[in-house]
Amino acid sequence: MTKVTMTVNGKARSAEVPDNTLLVDYIRENLRLTGTHVGCDTSQCGACVVHVNGQAVKACTMLAASAEGAEVTTIEGVAAGKDDLHPMQVAFKDNHGLQCGFCTPGMIMTATDMVSRYKEAGKTLDEKAIREELEGNICRCTGYHNIVKAIADGASKMA
Amino acid sequence: MTDQGIGARVLRKEDKRFITGKGKYTDDIVQPNQAYAAFVRSPHAHANVKSIDTSAAEAMEGVEAVLNGHQLTGDGIGNIICGWGITSKDGSPMNMGAWSALATDKVRYVGDAVAVVIADSKAQAQAAAEAVMVEYEVLPAVSNVLDAMKDGAPQIHENAPGNQIFDWEIGNKDDTDAALASAHHTTTMDITNNRLSPNPMEPRSAVATFDESEDHYTLYTTSQNPHVARLVLSAFYNVAPEHKLRVIAPDVGGGFGAKIYIYPEEIVCLWASMKTNRSVKWTSTRSEAFLTDAHGRDHVSTATMGFDADNNIVGFKVNTKANLGGYMSLFSSSVPTYLYATLLSGQYNIANVYCDVQTYYTNTVPVDAYRGAGRPEAAYLIERMIETAARELGVDPGELRRQNFVREFPHQTPVIMAYDSGDFAGNLDQAKAAADVAGFPARKEEAARRGKLRGLGYSNYIEACGIAPSAAVGSLGAGVGLWESAEVRVNPVGTIEILTGSHSHGQGHETTFAQLVSERFDLPTDNIQIVHGDTDKVQFGMGTYGSRSGAVGMSAISKALDKVEAKVKKIAAHVLEASEDDIVIEGGEVKVKGTDKAMGWHEVGLSAYTAHNLPEGMEPGLKEGAFYDPTNFTFPAGCYICEVEVDPQTGVTEIVQFTASDDFGTIINPMIVEGQVHGGIAQGIGQAMLEHAVYDDDGQLLSGSYMDYCMPRADDVPSYTVSHHSTTCPGNPLGMKGCGEAGAIGSPPAVINAITDAIGNNNLSMPATPSRVWAALQQVSAAQAAE
Amino acid sequence: MDMSGEYRIAAPIQTVWDAIQDPEILRGAIPGCEELEKTGDTEMAAKVSLKIGPVKAKFAGEVTLKDMVAPNSLKIEGEGKGGIAGFAKGGADVQLVEDGNETVLTYQAEAQVGGKIAQLGSRLIQSTAAKLADKFFANLRDELEES
Repeated sequence: MTKVTMTVNGKARSAEVPDNTLLVDYIRENLRLTGTHVGCDTSQCGACVVHVNGQAVKACTMLAASAEGAEVTTIEGVAAGKDDLHPMQVAFKDNHGLQCGFCTPGMIMTATDMVSRYKEAGKTLDEKAIREELEGNICRCTGYHNIVKAIADGASKMA
Repeated sequence: MTDQGIGARVLRKEDKRFITGKGKYTDDIVQPNQAYAAFVRSPHAHANVKSIDTSAAEAMEGVEAVLNGHQLTGDGIGNIICGWGITSKDGSPMNMGAWSALATDKVRYVGDAVAVVIADSKAQAQAAAEAVMVEYEVLPAVSNVLDAMKDGAPQIHENAPGNQIFDWEIGNKDDTDAALASAHHTTTMDITNNRLSPNPMEPRSAVATFDESEDHYTLYTTSQNPHVARLVLSAFYNVAPEHKLRVIAPDVGGGFGAKIYIYPEEIVCLWASMKTNRSVKWTSTRSEAFLTDAHGRDHVSTATMGFDADNNIVGFKVNTKANLGGYMSLFSSSVPTYLYATLLSGQYNIANVYCDVQTYYTNTVPVDAYRGAGRPEAAYLIERMIETAARELGVDPGELRRQNFVREFPHQTPVIMAYDSGDFAGNLDQAKAAADVAGFPARKEEAARRGKLRGLGYSNYIEACGIAPSAAVGSLGAGVGLWESAEVRVNPVGTIEILTGSHSHGQGHETTFAQLVSERFDLPTDNIQIVHGDTDKVQFGMGTYGSRSGAVGMSAISKALDKVEAKVKKIAAHVLEASEDDIVIEGGEVKVKGTDKAMGWHEVGLSAYTAHNLPEGMEPGLKEGAFYDPTNFTFPAGCYICEVEVDPQTGVTEIVQFTASDDFGTIINPMIVEGQVHGGIAQGIGQAMLEHAVYDDDGQLLSGSYMDYCMPRADDVPSYTVSHHSTTCPGNPLGMKGCGEAGAIGSPPAVINAITDAIGNNNLSMPATPSRVWAALQQVSAAQAAE
Repeated sequence: MDMSGEYRIAAPIQTVWDAIQDPEILRGAIPGCEELEKTGDTEMAAKVSLKIGPVKAKFAGEVTLKDMVAPNSLKIEGEGKGGIAGFAKGGADVQLVEDGNETVLTYQAEAQVGGKIAQLGSRLIQSTAAKLADKFFANLRDELEES
């Protein structure tokens, strides 16, 4: 067992977990933050993407212990308030960028990370770039058309 | 009027919980005293189970129980069944082999479960499952349908000699043979429809709770049809009587057919919950999903299409061998028969159609319905054939189609279906205009200057949806009626709850069903709640598949709304002292037409429940139910045009343009319908270019993860141009046809027709991977070099 | 995939023949072998740890020597169960030819896997098996030449 301590969605959390506990299992099972999903077991699908110290990470590829001391943000932590959703969340709804909703949290976490990185680097996030950046996130419902539109829309609204 | 009625692009009510991470999926549910199940699965495709030693596993920490198939059958749990009986040509019934939820004596595919471990934690259950020692006597295996039918092939079920399940036919063989014999031109092709894994992103999951004090079971599960699950679990698997079993399908992360069936794991979790007196949870890993979720397609066909001297189709004959896997899944027999061969007339007026289908067991996971279910196989066959025929005849493929279109409705095909409406030429024209087919030669030339091969392909699909008239499907062998039910509850404060037997797992019913009510009563959709997916709340329902929730599910709601509307008008007429015929419902009020006499919508609700002033003899309350049984299938149809560019150096194909013109009848919410088409097209592109579930000759699944099974990613697909050209469906009160499967049905032939057009070689199978396209290009160069 | 090979071993044929049946030598030669014990004249029980693609598993199994024609040829068969990881089976036909004081060993090997190893590592099985077979015979040569 290992004691892990990290800040999740702005709150300090800690727990004793088996050494081999994945970050995604810690988030889902220990913290009961079930918006982070598990869609595969080979780190391909991206349903589990969270932010660790501001970077998008597949939470199934990281041990909880490796996130010791980190700032973790999950889908539950991206909105500023109950009725003050993140512009990317709003863009997914406005553009019908989701159907069954299972891949959506990972998509939104990937999207906000991609927008921030491109903004920081001063690069243009056009349709081609969005599609390439989504390489690690699988959606079976939408055919990606409206996800790509949603991310472009959300990017234009992110300050 | 509200702007949220039929035809409005209303944003989805359900989205907020999904975009905030508050969706409630089965794996998110935790019950008190919950234990975890881990299955011990066969690594062999075909083997006798000699012994199972559970002693080491039972001794491990946290292990509650290790259970096997003999205990399961000993407790009277019944075999898993196929619910659609098919009769062979010779009148004999299909050869359904026994399928126990935990194998007892024999395993028939890799992943077949032989035991289950119930333990305190997931990790403990998995560790103990690894410690269960199973001794197998390995038998020769067969994974491919053409091998399974050979003499001397390994025998998979004793009651299916030669592994054949049935040999079925439809249409008129003699007439078709005669028509083809006298045809001016015939086109013959061998066509394989590649095996696919459905891959909803949420893996299957079950949480079963047995309450000893009430002798009652609750099952949370990833189901497209919780009532069908309860019915089958009760009536056939003897888990519990229906009134002692509650099945809840909460938020479900995609289905695509794979979550219609009742799988071994749900049965075992319910039974194990009773055995251990604990809640039992199981969530599939993706690896297990590849091994155990029913696969789709897997047909091998030979087809001949005949034309007269004027290029009219005179006959179409098809033979299909279908692989149904190691056991018969719930609807497996209907997919390669009534959902397939009945669509082989396509959009065309063909006097003679004949198809015979042989199905076989193989040592692979069961094959059943996957988005489209039989209809994609039919569309692929007919649309590849007609495109190929056009090339052979030297005529424009769009015009060859147009000349053969069915133009008058109703149209009776030679293969059961009576098409009720459509404007196939209208869809073709709309798609051609949107795709700028006229400008294609210039684009092809421009691409050639860049060293790229550009091609264009059509697909004019038709499908049968709104599944289906109960008496009709009953006469064809279905074990259930395929109606739908609905209940409309107007609360005393005027808000409305719609209870529906349809189930939403991405389709947006919470929005579109509310729009239907909004249209009828002119109320905002915020005042309307859709309740679904819980057998304790909704009386009964057949669930969501076969693009039926609109045409059948909403028709049931519409019928219930009729009854509510009539009662509302009666109450208002009584209170307002007017004639029922003069009552109108609009703007949140119930009014007497042409006067200022009105009561608020909520006042009518309140009147119904206070019952202080109701018409003589009227029952209090405002709640009505309805069952709707469709009168015919519905026939969504359309024209898809795909344009590709192939890099001849690498065989890499890029879809540069994909255009759809669909006829779905009445559209409730265009935004949602377009989304359904986008997703369907992506799955069709996946089948055409990327996806292939592959077993080796020993029955080992080689494409068992996202590393080897190529799912469409965002950069594999284009943005789509989607449009509608609709005719109203005369068969249901709303005029709806259904839109859920069209994209997956219509797109594969368009893609392959485009690629084969680009490369100048028709010898190309799905998935058209770069290596296959490249190999086909080498055949072209070799042929050119030989000349 | 070429699953055959040839080694020239600087030892007399009888020494090589004996070595192939010696659990001590085999333990050192089988890649990943942790335990090997004789259970009969031509049977041995083995524990082998292997990594194929993303799957690492410990196999408990048997090694059997068959079709023995002393001192010229035999077949070595191995079969192991890796629990949840699946199973692995393999075999090699081995021929020994005397060349003066040296021996030329040739082999043709085959391998089959099932379960999770096949599911996740199928792309790598042929190449891994070829590598393992080659390693085995190289190890055998090295052990003989060192001793």
